[in-house]
Amino acid sequence: MALELHVWGPAFGLDSIDPECLAAIACFRCALSSENWTLIASNDASLSPDNVLPALYHKGTWTSGYANIVGYLKQHAGGETNLLIDHDLTPQQRADLVAYSSYLTARGSGLLALSLYASPKAWVEITRPAYATVLPFPLTWTVPTAIRAAAVEKAEHLGMGYLAAEVDAEESSSQGAAETTSTGFLRLRQTLGPSKTFQPEQTAAIRFQYLADDFYSTLDQLRGEGQGKFLLRDGEPTSLDFLAYGYLSLMRVQTPHPILKTVLEKKYGRLVDFLGAVDAYKTGYTLPWQQAQPRGALGLLGSFSDGVMENVPSVGNSWKRWRRGGIRTEAGEDVKDLTQLGLVVGGAFVGLAALGATALFRGLTPFGESTHRFEPTKEDKPNLHQFGEIGAMLNALPVWDPPQASPPVGDTVYHKGDVDVSVDVAPVPAPGSLPA
Amino acid sequence: MMASVTQDATSSRPRPPGPSGWFTIPAPLARLFKKFPLLTYPPNELPARSPGTTHVATLYVFISDKDALEGLPSYNPSCLRWQTYLRLAGVAFLVLPSSNHASPTGALPFLLPPTRPNDPKSPLPIPSSKLEQYGIDHGLDNGISKLPELSSARLEAYESLLDHRIRNAWLYHLYLCPSHSALLVRLYVAPVSKSQAVRTTVLYQLRRAAESEILKSTGRLVIDPEAIYNGAREAFGALEAELGNKPWFFGSSQPGLFDATVFSYTHLLSDKGSGWEDLRLTHILDEFPGLNMHTLRISQKCWPPS
Repeated sequence: MALELHVWGPAFGLDSIDPECLAAIACFRCALSSENWTLIASNDASLSPDNVLPALYHKGTWTSGYANIVGYLKQHAGGETNLLIDHDLTPQQRADLVAYSSYLTARGSGLLALSLYASPKAWVEITRPAYATVLPFPLTWTVPTAIRAAAVEKAEHLGMGYLAAEVDAEESSSQGAAETTSTGFLRLRQTLGPSKTFQPEQTAAIRFQYLADDFYSTLDQLRGEGQGKFLLRDGEPTSLDFLAYGYLSLMRVQTPHPILKTVLEKKYGRLVDFLGAVDAYKTGYTLPWQQAQPRGALGLLGSFSDGVMENVPSVGNSWKRWRRGGIRTEAGEDVKDLTQLGLVVGGAFVGLAALGATALFRGLTPFGESTHRFEPTKEDKPNLHQFGEIGAMLNALPVWDPPQASPPVGDTVYHKGDVDVSVDVAPVPAPGSLPA
Repeated sequence: MMASVTQDATSSRPRPPGPSGWFTIPAPLARLFKKFPLLTYPPNELPARSPGTTHVATLYVFISDKDALEGLPSYNPSCLRWQTYLRLAGVAFLVLPSSNHASPTGALPFLLPPTRPNDPKSPLPIPSSKLEQYGIDHGLDNGISKLPELSSARLEAYESLLDHRIRNAWLYHLYLCPSHSALLVRLYVAPVSKSQAVRTTVLYQLRRAAESEILKSTGRLVIDPEAIYNGAREAFGALEAELGNKPWFFGSSQPGLFDATVFSYTHLLSDKGSGWEDLRLTHILDEFPGLNMHTLRISQKCWPPS
């Protein structure tokens, strides 16, 4: 069996929603003929042991991550395919390739995390729906949120997190009703200087634009040095070109605040040309898409409950570390940290104990009698019962009743759950009459 | 019924007017304070080791007391980076041992400029993010030269190698590699406290912090040491190729901040006195003679053997 490339599924009119998957697809498209590999939108990161897509399956081994896949192709697949990537670079070009790849993955993923994931509007309007279309039903509740949390953390790690927070704050202020003074007139915005006239989103946009500018100009200058069709040289694309292609095409996605797209298309036409050059490198190529194997109800449920566990407060992080994380030793096994295991077990135990205590408490019968009845004491009124059977018959006759309708002598004043409170009600004497 | 009405009337009667009840001192207390009037003591003396008036700037770094006296390199890469940079720029400064808690930004290093005799106000400390400008302003003219615009884009790309691949390898090598536990305790944990419980907690926190830094940087859920060491090898290889036969990076005529950053890692990894138990990263670095020559050049420029 040939090479199997597992990726995140298509979105935004591109072949994948993930920059590294896009890069891997572009790399395979340019380097291999379509009968030598299959492309599977499995959307399941847990397939590979590293929990990362893109993942390559070949001869029983999994390789994941773009850089590792390219390394694997260079080493192993050379024999059976006509595969040539990065094989004839000068030492200087090779050094640039390593440096710029590192730069692209660090900065590019930060910028994408901001524009597609961290910005609440973009997340709600385009990114979450895109994930909803590629994922099966219950996983749409757990997987995208986990991906978003990771992306936001990444943006914060690069010192860009504050931008997302400001874009967030802006949306409430700029969409709210116009401010009015206490007398009902529209309050005019004070126009004292440029910094006061800006909305928070505009200031955030300016900083974001600066970061984007910086990123594009670094790439553009690399291309400018070579004067070629691709980033490093003219003739053949390198693995760096595919990586840049992956990131730049996702940056051209139309988002609610399309800062990345506008800057790229307005100021860096040469990078847009570069994208076109990669697209045009092999025309008439059909990607060897293959249907992903359905995961089955049990697998789905497993992944879903895993995702749910990761979201349990105070247990989730330890669970995630224990389940997936850790430090791999040289031999290739994970060192499962015993303290982490302890935390998970302890957390689960405390949770269960709390649940059990609640159940026990609810199951207990309420203290005391469940029903309290307050009955009026039978007055020893003289009636006809004392005269035997005939007396009882006569007693039932309405004639014997007092002329006025007798008021009720008992009433339920409190009724809730198991407790009934009935009280004795004494007739109130008429206002005029004096007690005898 | 009648009784309740009268009670309502008494409770709703307005209180006797007086100054607002919250801010007046109750009478017995007021009498007490009159008997013992408030006395203000003169301010305490500053601790003996607090900085007095110095005529030389002071750089606070992670360093042992003995090394600080001789002005030797710090054992922390980001401190060593700025220490080297300031030396390259020709700024005169002293080095003092310190900890993150002493820094206004929460991270070392920071620099306290010299006090001026005619300026009574104490100078503001300079965080590491502004030290580059300080070096340009206060260094000698022949010290640091600004790089030309063209190479600054390449510089940014190569910086990401240092900030991600080499830093990750450093973090794993020192903090997470099991054979360096003793070294880590000696450098960063033992100066914090003598109590064993505190030391255990600090060690645990340091390790967790290093782990989460690496995971955030790689975007993975698992730390794979082999991949980290391979990444460092690739990064050092790229730096070596960029350096080529030139004396300094990017063809500059004088060493700059980038050279100082590379030096901060390569010096600590190749220095025999660092106390590495596991020599993997050192051996990786040994594969690149050009970088080792570069380290030697900077070392001789900044710490000339006497």
